[in-house]
Amino acid sequence: MKLKRRPRPAPQETIVSLIDVIFFLLVFFMLVGRMDATAPFEILPPVSTAGESLPKGGTTVAIAADGQIALDGAPVSQAALLTSIAETLVNNAALRVRINADGEARLTNLLPLVTALEQAGVRDVVLVVTPNPP
Amino acid sequence: MKLVRRKRNMALITLTPLVDVMMILLVFFMVTSTYLDLDMMPMVQQQEDSSGSASGPAPTLLIRITADGSARLRGQSLTAESLARALQAQPGARVLILPSGGANVQGLVSAIQAATEAGAENLRVVRLEAPQ
Repeated sequence: MKLKRRPRPAPQETIVSLIDVIFFLLVFFMLVGRMDATAPFEILPPVSTAGESLPKGGTTVAIAADGQIALDGAPVSQAALLTSIAETLVNNAALRVRINADGEARLTNLLPLVTALEQAGVRDVVLVVTPNPP
Repeated sequence: MKLVRRKRNMALITLTPLVDVMMILLVFFMVTSTYLDLDMMPMVQQQEDSSGSASGPAPTLLIRITADGSARLRGQSLTAESLARALQAQPGARVLILPSGGANVQGLVSAIQAATEAGAENLRVVRLEAPQ
């Protein structure tokens, strides 16, 4: 006897579980990642375990190993940087400036800039370091 | 006459566009965020304390950072232990770091770390002048 089996309808693939997984990944990357204006050049911060935890906010000045400067991701000259920061200081006197300098950058590119920032009236300048080099 | 309208079956909400959007957001956050663990060192204090200058000339320990980035204290290469010993001999001494302009940032940061580990409280970095 030949039994004809009725073809079962294919079970609908549940897309819901996929959404769940993607959602968890999304939340994970949003929490773990740090959103910063990245400099147009590569920067490996100096390594030190003596740093304090980095506060949020403020403007970021990036200094490349060869001495290029960038303010919040855009390359600028030092004069333009000081002008821009002086303008920001008018509205926000407690402006925090984070200096993200490459570990190989010369101090002649860093220290005069810090002095100039202090003379411009910035009262809060921090240098970014990393406890765990990549 | 009464017309009975056949009940339309409800349109199924498709989840595919939602997945698409979430996927794009996911890729965006994966690509744009950096995962380097970052700390900071203060370069300019918020309130410069004037206690050092008010209490007269305090004993000073001078750390020099040579052009190759190594730190030296009294002609010896600096370690946290040697600085801690020097600080014990002269309690309350202020520590001055005199960097060479040719040294790199890593050299300065390492010297500051050694001074911090040695327990230096009054730590200053002699700053080079801004070019006029």
